Amino acid sequence: MNARPVLSHMLPVLGTGIALAAVPLFVRESGYVLRIATFLLMLATYAVGFNLLFGHTRQLFLCIGVLAGTGAYGSVLLVRNAGLNPVAAIAVAVAIATGLGAFLSYVGVRRGFGVLFVGIVTLAVSLIFQNLVLGLRKYTNGETGIVTQGLGVGLAENPVQAYYILLAVLVAALAVYQEIMGSRHGLALHALSDDEVSAELSGIDVARYKVGVAALAAGFISLVGALFADWNGFISPSLFSVGHVDIPVLIVLLLGGMRTLLGPVVGAIVFTIVDAIVRPFGQLTVLAYGVLLVALFLVFREGTVTLLQRGWEMVQSSTQRGQVGRGVAADEDGDPLSQRTNSRAKSPY
Amino acid sequence: MSPQSEEILLRCCEVTKRFGGLVVLWEVNLEVRRGSLIGLIGPNGAGKTTLLNVISGLLQPDSGRVEFLGRLINGLPAHAVVRLGIGRVLQIPRLFPHLTVEENVLVGVLFGRRKPPAREEAQEEARKFLTLVGLEGKHRERVGKLNTQEKRLVDLARALATEPRMLLVDELMSGLSLVEMERYTTLLRRIREQLGVAILWVEHVMEAILGTVDEVVVLDHGAVIAQGSPAEIAQDPLVIEAYLGTGAREVLGAHMGYAGSS
Ligand SMILES: Nc1ncnc2c1ncn2[C@@H]1O[C@H](COP(=O)(O)OP(=O)(O)OP(=O)(O)O)[C@@H](O)[C@H]1O
Ligand SMILES: [Mg+2]
Repeated sequence: MNARPVLSHMLPVLGTGIALAAVPLFVRESGYVLRIATFLLMLATYAVGFNLLFGHTRQLFLCIGVLAGTGAYGSVLLVRNAGLNPVAAIAVAVAIATGLGAFLSYVGVRRGFGVLFVGIVTLAVSLIFQNLVLGLRKYTNGETGIVTQGLGVGLAENPVQAYYILLAVLVAALAVYQEIMGSRHGLALHALSDDEVSAELSGIDVARYKVGVAALAAGFISLVGALFADWNGFISPSLFSVGHVDIPVLIVLLLGGMRTLLGPVVGAIVFTIVDAIVRPFGQLTVLAYGVLLVALFLVFREGTVTLLQRGWEMVQSSTQRGQVGRGVAADEDGDPLSQRTNSRAKSPY
Repeated sequence: MSPQSEEILLRCCEVTKRFGGLVVLWEVNLEVRRGSLIGLIGPNGAGKTTLLNVISGLLQPDSGRVEFLGRLINGLPAHAVVRLGIGRVLQIPRLFPHLTVEENVLVGVLFGRRKPPAREEAQEEARKFLTLVGLEGKHRERVGKLNTQEKRLVDLARALATEPRMLLVDELMSGLSLVEMERYTTLLRRIREQLGVAILWVEHVMEAILGTVDEVVVLDHGAVIAQGSPAEIAQDPLVIEAYLGTGAREVLGAHMGYAGSS
């Protein structure tokens, strides 16, 4: 019935990894394009986390920048002020951010916050974070920021290596996502994002899933934040503001497609291209983002990946109709999931 | 424990629930025995749905106790109550629109039981319950394509899939024709006989309930005003006045006659 090679559901992850791994072969090593491509990987990984949070558990965390910033500032300060070695510092910073993500989620769950209220509270957390970094000027240099050279694992000096490390993080995030979605937990996440009350009444511990997902997402996001600090050679609070992180991530996810494996990647690619076009307009980019976001929410909530899947299904079903009798045979293979959209097709449940 | 008390599945003791200043349940006492079929009736806003919400853990009572199998369950979250063996069918079905019919039921199989079966067995189980409610052949459809009645049946199948010892059913019959009601009545009877599930059945439509249930509990303004066999309830002057209004005695009498002869 579900006879398939055990790892076949990882093929899209692997394919994406291989395709993206080829990029450095075609661009100049220290060039602008590789920088943009590296940034794209980070954006995609943020979006994978945000997809888990918002797409699958309806937690509108508008503090992705805070989580990334905790990874960044945490790791940098632990090296600079506490003398930890960079790897240990990153691990500790990620652990702190993971705890923060879980805590914010737990508060929301306990107090029964709706989607919008979680959005408002986490937005407030973002403002607090900005003020905290500015206020702790003694350690953070305030808005002047910190030059991170020599404080990290040396990503700034090796752009190609940095690209591959960040690609590995993205692929790991995608693999974890796919593994979860293919397990019974995936079914629980799909169910609870559809209706939390019904999910509870079916025996799903909604609170635990929400907190667990928030911790996981915060872990990946803060890891990327810490690596960003090293790679970028410099951090300042504005680099982790809502406008710089959360809004782009929201656009990426909506563009690419919520609740899909590859939505974050596709969205990041499209966004990066659009961003490169509007960037010359300076201050206007903020306006462009705003308009884009409104348009996405109004007319394109499904995202590119879902749209492509739908088109592909239509093509498939029309060719099937052409071949008399095949539809019936397909029906009888007994797998209710075989007609599913790609992102979910591999779920054994 | 005496054999008699072992028979009792659910016991509500003096359950009180307020929304702000509004008392919605007032010292409600209720017992449901193993395998019994109990009708819970009352006018609009009597507190029937609220009582089911309190039992299933979606709401916490302000005072009083809810016991299931001798164990205090108020304070438990809804998912834990489900796993203890209380299934719930909502007044307005809320399914998982992104999942197929079968997956909706599968969720109940995989998460509503204390020991969920392995994957293939779980799928078979889900189909078994879909067949029981008469939805065989629909398992691959998206629930969005179903009509309201079919949605109710999916909700019912999902609740049954959690293998409850007691099922809370909230107004399955609203908006149905008499023929359709008959179908549901037969279905609930079959569920009770085949699966041995006790059913606490909230219903507005008296005709549907009186011929079928063992016992009726009448709720009015949040308080239990009568409790007894359908025949007793049909005679109870308080019920007739408070709930049914004038002229109801004749109607009821006719139905009891009908039910008795069938
Ligand atoms: N969440 C809530 N907040 C405030 N008041 C509520 C809430 N839920 C229900 N009520 C009120 O409690 C009372 C009882 O409602 P409930 O839904 O339990 O009645 P019901 O017997 O199920 O009625 P119906 O036959 O219409 O389904 C009503 O007056 C209703 O307005
Ligand atoms: Mg009701």
